[in-house]
Amino acid sequence: MTKIGVDVGGTFTDLILESDQISRTAGGVVVHKVPSTSEDQSIGVIRGIKEICDMAGVALSDIEKVVHGTTVATNAVIEYDGAEVGMLTTRGFRDILLLARGKRPHNFSMQFDVPWQSKPLVKRRNRIPISERIMPPDGSVEVIMDEDEVRAAAELLKKRGVDAVIICFIFSFLNNAHEQRAKEIVKEILPDTYVSCSNEVADVIREYERFSTAAMNAFIGPRTSYYLGNLKNSLRAEGVNAEIRVMQSNGGVTTIEGGSERPVTILMSGPAGGVIGGKWAGDLSGVENLITVDIGGTSADISVVPGGKVRIMNPRDTNVGGYPILTPMIDLTTIGAGGGSVAYVDEGGAFHVGPRSAGASPGPACYGKGGIEPTVTDAQVVLGRLDAEQFLGGGVAIDPKLSAKAIEDNLCGKLRLSIEEAALGIIRVINSSMALEIRANSVAKGIDPRDYSLVAFGGAGPLHGVALAATVAAREVIVPPAPGINAATGLLATDTQYEFTRSVLIGISEADQVALDELNRKLDELVEQAGEALVADGITPEKQNFSRIAECRYAGQGFELRAEVADGLVDNNNKQVLIDNFHEAHRCDYGHAFEYQNIEIITLRVIVAATTDRLSWPELEVGEGNNPKNAVMYARPTTFDEGETVDTPRYDRGKLLVGQTVTGPAIVIQHDSTTLIPPDHVAEVTAFGNLHVSAKL
Amino acid sequence: MSGREVDPITLQVIGGALHTVAKEMGHVLYRMSYSSIIRESEDLGAGLFDADCNTLCESDSTPMHIGSIPAYLRGINETLHDPWQPGDVVIHNHPYYGASHSPDIAAVAPVFFDDKLVGFSANTAHHVDIGAATPGLIIDVPDVFAEGMLFKGVKLYEGGERNRALWQFIETNTRVPDQVLGDIEAQVASVELGVKRFIELLDLYGKDTVFAATQQLMEYSEAMLRRRIAEIPDGEYRAEGYLDDDGRNREQTLPVKVCVRIEGDSAEVDLTGSSPQVPTAFNVPFEGSTKVACYFAFRAMLLDSATISEHVPQNEGSFRPIKVIAPLGSIFNPKYPAAAEARFNQIQRVVDCIAKALGPAIPDKVTAGCSADVSAIAYSGVRPEGNYWVFIEVNEGSYGGRPKSDGPDGIEELMRNTRNNPIEDLGMHLPLICDRYELRDDVMPGAGEHRGGIGMVKVQRYLTDGFLTHESDRHEDAPWGFLGGGEGAVARVQKFNVANPDKIEELPAKVHNLRNLKGDCIAVLNACGGGYGDPLKRSPEQVREDVLDDYCTIDYAREAYGVVLTDELKVDAAATKARRGEMRG
Repeated sequence: MTKIGVDVGGTFTDLILESDQISRTAGGVVVHKVPSTSEDQSIGVIRGIKEICDMAGVALSDIEKVVHGTTVATNAVIEYDGAEVGMLTTRGFRDILLLARGKRPHNFSMQFDVPWQSKPLVKRRNRIPISERIMPPDGSVEVIMDEDEVRAAAELLKKRGVDAVIICFIFSFLNNAHEQRAKEIVKEILPDTYVSCSNEVADVIREYERFSTAAMNAFIGPRTSYYLGNLKNSLRAEGVNAEIRVMQSNGGVTTIEGGSERPVTILMSGPAGGVIGGKWAGDLSGVENLITVDIGGTSADISVVPGGKVRIMNPRDTNVGGYPILTPMIDLTTIGAGGGSVAYVDEGGAFHVGPRSAGASPGPACYGKGGIEPTVTDAQVVLGRLDAEQFLGGGVAIDPKLSAKAIEDNLCGKLRLSIEEAALGIIRVINSSMALEIRANSVAKGIDPRDYSLVAFGGAGPLHGVALAATVAAREVIVPPAPGINAATGLLATDTQYEFTRSVLIGISEADQVALDELNRKLDELVEQAGEALVADGITPEKQNFSRIAECRYAGQGFELRAEVADGLVDNNNKQVLIDNFHEAHRCDYGHAFEYQNIEIITLRVIVAATTDRLSWPELEVGEGNNPKNAVMYARPTTFDEGETVDTPRYDRGKLLVGQTVTGPAIVIQHDSTTLIPPDHVAEVTAFGNLHVSAKL
Repeated sequence: MSGREVDPITLQVIGGALHTVAKEMGHVLYRMSYSSIIRESEDLGAGLFDADCNTLCESDSTPMHIGSIPAYLRGINETLHDPWQPGDVVIHNHPYYGASHSPDIAAVAPVFFDDKLVGFSANTAHHVDIGAATPGLIIDVPDVFAEGMLFKGVKLYEGGERNRALWQFIETNTRVPDQVLGDIEAQVASVELGVKRFIELLDLYGKDTVFAATQQLMEYSEAMLRRRIAEIPDGEYRAEGYLDDDGRNREQTLPVKVCVRIEGDSAEVDLTGSSPQVPTAFNVPFEGSTKVACYFAFRAMLLDSATISEHVPQNEGSFRPIKVIAPLGSIFNPKYPAAAEARFNQIQRVVDCIAKALGPAIPDKVTAGCSADVSAIAYSGVRPEGNYWVFIEVNEGSYGGRPKSDGPDGIEELMRNTRNNPIEDLGMHLPLICDRYELRDDVMPGAGEHRGGIGMVKVQRYLTDGFLTHESDRHEDAPWGFLGGGEGAVARVQKFNVANPDKIEELPAKVHNLRNLKGDCIAVLNACGGGYGDPLKRSPEQVREDVLDDYCTIDYAREAYGVVLTDELKVDAAATKARRGEMRG
């Protein structure tokens, strides 16, 4: 079995290949990095796949599975480069997408931009009102849909040559008959155009969020499906006959067809791969409570994984580029803090690091590509933590003098600090920003970091890991075996997963048998639908795992939380399980539960997953001893966070064996990442090559 | 306070920590609350304060709340019966003791460190109903006692002990006890969290360092604002407008007069000459609302978060350069016991007039006239079971055209920034149904090189008999155009029955407890912003785009912009040139 994970990032495309054709002594796994090709990501992907196969000595035709993490869908949003979309909507509600939730993005501003108005997913001219009216709370029809208006609208959109059409009617979550009928009519007139109903894309209450999700799906749809289809064809043309899977925002994978049909589900494809990769690293060491921290050049992604289960974001917060998207996404936060974050002093004398980034171009000052402002990477270089000749395995030339000059010119005078002090200040501020975000995602949500291990990855993660763990009081740091390509690793460590939802409104606390029957019926339908989706992927029923979730709130509240439904039919006895699960979820998120309050179910969700064989990382040889001499490359003066400069040995990670320990001060170097082990800390190598760094007892 | 200076790096770290605490307090409050006005609209504020009532940090929620809490704290300190002790939570809403207005109840917990009172954790939230004369909102009432329950430094928890009698009193005196009690619980959870986080911060960095840092952070925010004020030439800048009426005396318009005096790096806003106080609830509490509006105006224009990249911390420092004057007995500083609950339209106009006054001096930092109003509307009724339903909705306004862009359409403007309620969610729970929610098509916004924003129209239909109170304005004095831009359009309110939709009754902006029957519809059409710059400078292609999107009619393109379109809706270049030449005279 040969599998490849390929993750496209802003600068690099990361690859990992796992194959039983490679002898275990050679590792069984090969990793690789190639430059990303932003004009067409598939060029870099194909180049990378060819190269990694060469490196592994595997024929392209022997690859059986390719799992892909892509930013194509996200880029279409960021670049506002999507399809011309037409929309049929209920008369009287033409501007739901424009009015949004009415709240402007800035409180203290007069000149702010409103992205959903200045960059609409559907232009106003293409939002065409149709006479029809579904009424709450039972979905009865007050105004029968005017089919002639639908036809006229479709003809007009045809004349305008739109790429996609969405049908978004108010209260369609109660009764989708009008949306479905309108779709049939539009399809007759525009047989080759992608037509979808809001209720199909997201069957949930809340008109703006549902319409926005449908509009986004249509807006990014053509570009995303073209890319995925083209990638598939190109791979086939190269002789790759593997099954191709795409990472979704929820951490599960879907097919090329699934990703093309519902591109909104892959908007957070890349970051999701990182979290799954972090969880995989925890699994290697049998650690379940994890905080994953993925630090790249411009940003850091932070996620908390309690008990080995990734968390799904509250639907209130799932948005991309300011547009709400109601699809399940892994609960992660991205902040503008990375190696390229710029440090500066503003006119009022305040010191800032980020969120502005020097990015890949011009990049940090030390790259010598014209960047003159100091960045976090420059601070690490000045402190002797990144060695010029080792940077990206020596693949990128850096000049430490430029780092020092950038700090001196921009910061030293204004802060009245030495170069070294200013560099330490940069590290302290950036670590503080990240630590606050970690706390906001853990402590603020009832999670005690003392029971958690912090998985540090991304090119810059292992440099910051120990300091972050100390600040948030996490028990230790885990550095995965290949931290620089960890998101790609995650691609080979996940399951096929689909989610199906149905809007309901049931007061569960007081539900009678009729209501419970309806609940059970809808759950069964969802389970059936979900099972069929996997069967269509060729996954047999015995490999399918279902979880049934009710998204609930206290009657009168505005936001739902997820609660698991007990196995079997829901009846008046076991419904208490669901109720207790909801109280617990509320307690976890808010610190309080209102046990005397009635609970209502708003949405039912069935998640089906098929366990696939996870990436198996080769076990390392057993070694022994502390600070193994044969792994030492050289030693150099290095400055640590407390300001002490110590002659610090560099260890070659490739030579560290199971059971060996490295006592700080030390630096562990590998191709694309550097792990900092401060004084009074010790790193231990575990069976699969994870480095566990913790404070020395 | 310690005299030592905290280094810029530690300062940034402590500043970030304070910001996160305020955010977390706001998060707990709106996520845990019950009423839509708090949980969906986020009509709340939360933060930490030092023992002198200075704001140390505040959640970035609704501008009206930001900056209002210090006055509450001073009011509480003035009225508290027994000294502060750990475990206390006090509630307070008295408009003559610092409250912003009575429905905005503050919850405040003291923070003790080493047995000393070192500060406060506090929040404010708008409650749906505090048992005023009419459900939800009030207009035409005689005095402050008609506003409902008034709390003046009352302990809801005393030394950690729950004051059960007070909870029971509140439950008895509101029309919607479940929502109000649930929301107060959320407020308590939020301030308790703030106390915990504040103490953690003091433990971590030490009291002297934290308070030295907070002083410096205030000085920083103050310096940032003073720097911008200093760029405005010294002098007096004046502007005025007028409000429709006080909700009772319909023929009497109410002047709003603003004089901004810039002297060096300080500013003074003098409201002398504005209307005397009125006999209804249409007055503005001075400490908790009038002053806050003036602080807001300067921060939004001069420290515009969209155009400056630094995060300037939200603290007391940004209030210090601004002095506010309003004579006692005027609409902006009423005398006890005048009612002063319906204050939002007036303060929006203060902000608007400050921008209008300073516009000629800082044209790149203002907008043309915004709707600068509020449409706060309370729908209510009695359910068959005998209990009340009350729903307060805030309808969006619009912005005036701007130096580099059009005014945003249908959006929360200036001092307000709440979220609207999902129509579908409301439809499932209330005997009220929304029949229309989109941009107005009965008027055009102010024409300009950058056009004004278009106001929204919302129609709500009663499914059972009920009541309506509407707090609004802007039916008479249209938003102003700037630098050659045209005037915007005034707001209007209409009533009709679904059975007879053509028989339309025009209502005034302020409606007090109007009785409605099943099938009655209320249409709110909000004001459109003024234009910025000469309409003839707008590119003909852009005008054509507006026509294609129905933001502009073909006739208006010709009349206001001098752009002539062909039958195929292409720009007729020759005719446009001729028409524009003719218009320029």
